[in-house]
Amino acid sequence: MLRISREPSVIFTLAILVGLMLFFIIYPQVQVVLVPGLQGYVDFIVGQTWIKPLINSLQVMALSTTTAVILGFVYAYAMVYSKMPWKPFFRVIGILPLLSPPFVVAASYILLFGPRGLITYYVFGQSPNVLGLGGIWGVQTIAFFPFAYQLIADVLARSDARMEQAARNLGAGPWQVFRTITLPMARPGLAAAILMTAIYILEDFGNPALIGGQFTVLPTQAYGLISGFGDVSSAAAVSTILLLLALVFYIGKIRLEGQRSYVTISGRAGTIPRPPVPQVVNVACFIACLILAGLILMVYGVLFLSALTQTFPANWTFTTRHLDYLNANSLSLRNTLVYGGVAASICSLFAVLLGFLVQRRDWRGKRIVDFIAIMPAAVPGIFFGIGYATAFNQRWLDWLDRGALITISMIFWNIPVGYQAAIAGLQQIDRSLDDAATSLGASSLRAFRDILFPMLDSALLTGFVTAFVRAVTTLSVVIFLFTPGTTVATITIFQLVNDFNWGGATAFTISVVGMAVLVLVTVWVLSGRRVGLQKVQ
Amino acid sequence: MMTRDEQPTNISPIQTSPLRLENVTKRFGAVTAVERVSLDIPRGAFTTLLGPSGCGKTTLLRIIAGFYEPDGGGIFLDDKRIDQMPTHLRGTAMVFQDYALWPHMTVYDNIAYGLRMSKTAHDEIERRVQETMGLVEMPAEFLKRRPTELSGGQQQRVALARALIVRPRVLLLDEPLSNLDAKVRQRLRLEIRRLQRRIGITTIYVTHDQEEALSMSDVVVVMNQGRVVQVGLPEDIYRKPATAFVAEFMGVSNVLRGAFTADGKAMRVAGIELPIPGLPNGAATVVFKADEAEIIAEGAARSDAITFDGVVEEAFFFGAMYRHFVAAGEATILVDRPTRLESKRVRLAIPRAKVQVFTEG
Repeated sequence: MLRISREPSVIFTLAILVGLMLFFIIYPQVQVVLVPGLQGYVDFIVGQTWIKPLINSLQVMALSTTTAVILGFVYAYAMVYSKMPWKPFFRVIGILPLLSPPFVVAASYILLFGPRGLITYYVFGQSPNVLGLGGIWGVQTIAFFPFAYQLIADVLARSDARMEQAARNLGAGPWQVFRTITLPMARPGLAAAILMTAIYILEDFGNPALIGGQFTVLPTQAYGLISGFGDVSSAAAVSTILLLLALVFYIGKIRLEGQRSYVTISGRAGTIPRPPVPQVVNVACFIACLILAGLILMVYGVLFLSALTQTFPANWTFTTRHLDYLNANSLSLRNTLVYGGVAASICSLFAVLLGFLVQRRDWRGKRIVDFIAIMPAAVPGIFFGIGYATAFNQRWLDWLDRGALITISMIFWNIPVGYQAAIAGLQQIDRSLDDAATSLGASSLRAFRDILFPMLDSALLTGFVTAFVRAVTTLSVVIFLFTPGTTVATITIFQLVNDFNWGGATAFTISVVGMAVLVLVTVWVLSGRRVGLQKVQ
Repeated sequence: MMTRDEQPTNISPIQTSPLRLENVTKRFGAVTAVERVSLDIPRGAFTTLLGPSGCGKTTLLRIIAGFYEPDGGGIFLDDKRIDQMPTHLRGTAMVFQDYALWPHMTVYDNIAYGLRMSKTAHDEIERRVQETMGLVEMPAEFLKRRPTELSGGQQQRVALARALIVRPRVLLLDEPLSNLDAKVRQRLRLEIRRLQRRIGITTIYVTHDQEEALSMSDVVVVMNQGRVVQVGLPEDIYRKPATAFVAEFMGVSNVLRGAFTADGKAMRVAGIELPIPGLPNGAATVVFKADEAEIIAEGAARSDAITFDGVVEEAFFFGAMYRHFVAAGEATILVDRPTRLESKRVRLAIPRAKVQVFTEG
């Protein structure tokens, strides 16, 4: 691999990229960790207010991860192994939750099962208190099993069909093949997928904030400390605990992926079909997917109904008054689109250039920069948000528009998705293609521009779409950064829910999901290819 | 438009140069990929770097091209040191494995790329692209196509044109034929060789295929474990291998390892005692070709040959000959004959002059 020492332009570019990452990724995080100070940490630990939320967080993470992974596995197995009908339909339904803020499930849940919920009150005449552990567990299971499905399907799809065919050929039955070949080969990948799901759930802020009630978890406690008491120091300490937990899981996940040597990467795995599964399994898979897809559709169906009726579920009269509400608050939607679009564009370009310098060139400190680029994937949104608030909501930055700050936070929080898409894309392109350009006199950056950049269009679009979707659906990253003029849709939804304005909240939610779907479809149409979403790994 | 006949055939726009390597060394961590390689590559010669995978031949080629920096030693083109120069200023041009043509560019853009990088004037680029297309015998109508629309042979010509258009002094080819099927490979070998002869450019060709090396080269350089083990004409490499490794790698069929007896008067190979004297107790390897074993009458003796008895275990038909697998002592000896041996038990005689003995250490 070429060293960069002979090319000042490369060194200069790299210095800028790394400088920006240090300032916008590392510096705010260090700020959060340092805010409480030694005395602050001592008081905080002695105060013991963190013990209950920590236990709650771990408890709900264990429960929700277990159920979400089981459901996700069933869905993934059905999609990869079975010969059930309607697979394209199930695939689309499986993507839908990735395009929406996770807390839509909580909103839908309250409308269905809350004290005045459609099912609890209007069908059974009950007004149960759904706030607390049980509610969060159920909601997170539904909210995150599609994420688990995506991660697990990826692992299963990469297992080599030839190995399974070989086992069938030697007389193993379908169940034996699954037990002795499929599962052992996928084990490290599965474990990594489970840990990643656990991180998502641990960091989830929106769902516990809406239906947690007295049941406080670490992210909601950090938020409550700031918004209720203005206690930034304790909030920083709480979110530092959260960060440490997430990092432990994340490092465990990276370790596991190091063992992933069983999975074939030749791309040949698909050349022969997987061995068929018994008909009864196909039927079972189909029924299970119908139920799971039905649950997802119910979540969105309820939101639709609520957005288009007077006061769902009490008054089902059709109305467009909630949609008028969108017009009245179009600023928030416009901000979402602008910030998300600008952030996703810059993020994907930044990440592709960085990916090139890391994957194709040799320099000192490369592995550290690689880690900095993927680390935000493990950083809880609430921690990232507090970091930006403490580091950049400062006097000396008063000249900076807060919208710009929100955009910057979206760029750097999403670097990992663009970066991972870029690295994956670069690995597909043989090195000799850019070596050929350098040997004919192109500089490194010129070879990147002429050869790799045009060939990385898929990776760029994947990075763009994913970064956009994540930017417009995040609540926790921006919740400490917005001002009245720079509010975004997720913030508006959160405020409307807290005001019990369900019609407005659901109308807004539908428009955010619609915006994400629209951008995805636009990219498909304009580029002529079915760009997928990059899994956050 | 010029027809093929009107084209100048021996006027070449290319100036070529001899290349010299002095003690070139490259390490990757603890592994020494290339160790103190010194070579003189004469002007205009077609030189092949030959060896098994991992022998350092591709690494050496990439060092010459400038994709790796050597850890020691020097590379000289026309006695000018080039190993510290950027890759495009060295006067070398590379044809890559699988050609590495850029799929998103037309044939024209692929070929013109090197000249665009050197800010050559537009008209001049146009002219040189046409000229180079003629050189590789590609009709101009292909210029607007994409590489993926070309056959393997056409892609090779485009790859050659892309390298030759910058007028390199040395042409480097990195296993360009390794992923093609046997028939196409035969034809493209011929094409490369004809082109190279026509323009007379110093060429270094990397391959692991000994047949390819023997058939194409003026000079063959055999490498093993990062070192050069033999340099010579193809005929010499084949007939007079310098070491047991070269003999074995060049496809010589019988390589028998053994040791001399305690008195040094004979050698024991696979349980058979052969009348070959040597260093007492020293290890040695006996090498002879499969078609040099003769069949003699049972019990007969020949003073000019080594003889031993064997049992024919299997015979494979290879088209031009039959290859027999003959068990002799603990070894299996390959014997190539134009006809199938009738009897099971045979007596083999290998003329002394045809047997090579390599003592180790």
